[in-house]
Amino acid sequence: MATVAGLNLSTPRVFSRTTDSPKAQPLKSPLLNNPWKMPTRFGNGRVYMQPLRAAPESISEKVAKSIKEAEQACEGDPASGECVAAWDEVEELSAAASHARDKKKDSDPLETYCKDNPETDECRTYED
Amino acid sequence: MAVCTIHTSTQSLNSRCSLYTPTKTHLGFNQRQVVFYSKRSSSSKRGSSSVITCSAAGDSQTIVIGLAADSGCGKSTFMRRLTSVFGGAAEPPKGGNPDSNTLISDTTTVICLDDYHSLDRTGRKVNGVTALDPRANNFDLMYEQVKAIKDGVAVDKPIYNHVTGLLDPPELIKPPKILVIEGLHPMYDERVRDLLDFSIYLDISNEVKFAWKIQRDMAERGHSLESIKASIEARKPDFDAYIDPQKQYADAVIEVLPTQLIPDDNEGKVLRVKLIMKEGVKHFSPVYLFDEGSTISWIPCGRKLTCSYPGIKFAYGPDSYFDHEVSVLEMDGQFDRLDELIYVESHLSNISTKFYGEVTQQMLKHADFPGSNNGTGLFQTIVGLKIRDLFEQIIATKETAPVEATQA
Repeated sequence: MATVAGLNLSTPRVFSRTTDSPKAQPLKSPLLNNPWKMPTRFGNGRVYMQPLRAAPESISEKVAKSIKEAEQACEGDPASGECVAAWDEVEELSAAASHARDKKKDSDPLETYCKDNPETDECRTYED
Repeated sequence: MAVCTIHTSTQSLNSRCSLYTPTKTHLGFNQRQVVFYSKRSSSSKRGSSSVITCSAAGDSQTIVIGLAADSGCGKSTFMRRLTSVFGGAAEPPKGGNPDSNTLISDTTTVICLDDYHSLDRTGRKVNGVTALDPRANNFDLMYEQVKAIKDGVAVDKPIYNHVTGLLDPPELIKPPKILVIEGLHPMYDERVRDLLDFSIYLDISNEVKFAWKIQRDMAERGHSLESIKASIEARKPDFDAYIDPQKQYADAVIEVLPTQLIPDDNEGKVLRVKLIMKEGVKHFSPVYLFDEGSTISWIPCGRKLTCSYPGIKFAYGPDSYFDHEVSVLEMDGQFDRLDELIYVESHLSNISTKFYGEVTQQMLKHADFPGSNNGTGLFQTIVGLKIRDLFEQIIATKETAPVEATQA
């Protein structure tokens, strides 16, 4: 890939301006040199790696079922309201499945538990 | 009265109803809050006969932002970037319905307009209408409730459950400093539109929409290229009729197109993104490149900045959009390294940052969000900063002219 060759800091002018400014401190990050190279995004088929399969079973099943139903609903008349509404349901469920995956990805088990059981001892928080 | 119990139990939702303590926000000003109780009948047709609400009299009104886009076009990512600019994490209401669509942070509450569906999933199926169809949405209730919140009155908002496809019991939404209404129709109904202090439309071209949905759905069981295509095509007539026309009303449009840097590219990996900003919007001055009002074409990659293939290209200039005068900033290509982003940020003007490198910092903070290496992330972040600026300007005007603030 062409990107690898360019990894040295070839623009010291820009960087010196940043480091001169005390306010630029928060820019220090372990991801500094290749912050965009996260594995789950765009790029050569790697997009379809593990975290994507993690949508809760029930939603995944609903998506699969809705697709079958949409295909059936459209057999007669692909422009009918019934067919269009069925594909709209597929979209809605697919989006819900995707959101559920995102939620699951960055959820802390304790946080999740405490959201459902805020009154329990292990979930008490103290203001002062 | 049972009132106090209601409010203490939901105190974590929003600090506005706290009774005695002056609240300090992270934006650095103090407000002493006066609270009164009023009785009003519930505008929700489901459930409770009346609710008690509290409102901070003399407090500044809620600022309302509208974000419109089709499903799967990056509204959630945009919301996460926006709430991050305001500081503090946005989270679903604590102890509420786990399938609630609402997000709450210290300053901002984001509500999803799907909650105003008048037909649930079965109802739409029976009637053969999509969620895009206005007939599946209750604009009267949407208007009433957004107006109430804007006027400082809490509401019982329905919850549309995206998993079950049913309307769940309502949740209490208290007036935040900033209310964001996101969904398919924030600018569809004129009454709702008039309540918006700022509006944004995410305009994703068909090619990119297809590429994004492949990324989102291909791993999902039952999906195939055919099913993804069929779903987009089936929804397109309603999308064109009811969603797309809203962009003419938006104060800012983020348009996402395939790149022009790679000939015949339609993979949707490299993107050309335009930020279309309406001129003459109160408290909003468009971002510009080098010289405000001129037409500029800029390739930052050269002697000072080395970019990898296919490079980065910017354009800026005045234009017209649905008969409105606009400024358009365009970025084609993607950032591969941090110095590219800093370099670009340092050449943009009017981006409403509070310190040098703030855009870059925000982008880095969320490097794992989709679009953090291209114009979608860059422009979403900039729009977030512009909204923060708009909010602070409105607050400042209200503080100097408190009488005005009481007017509708």
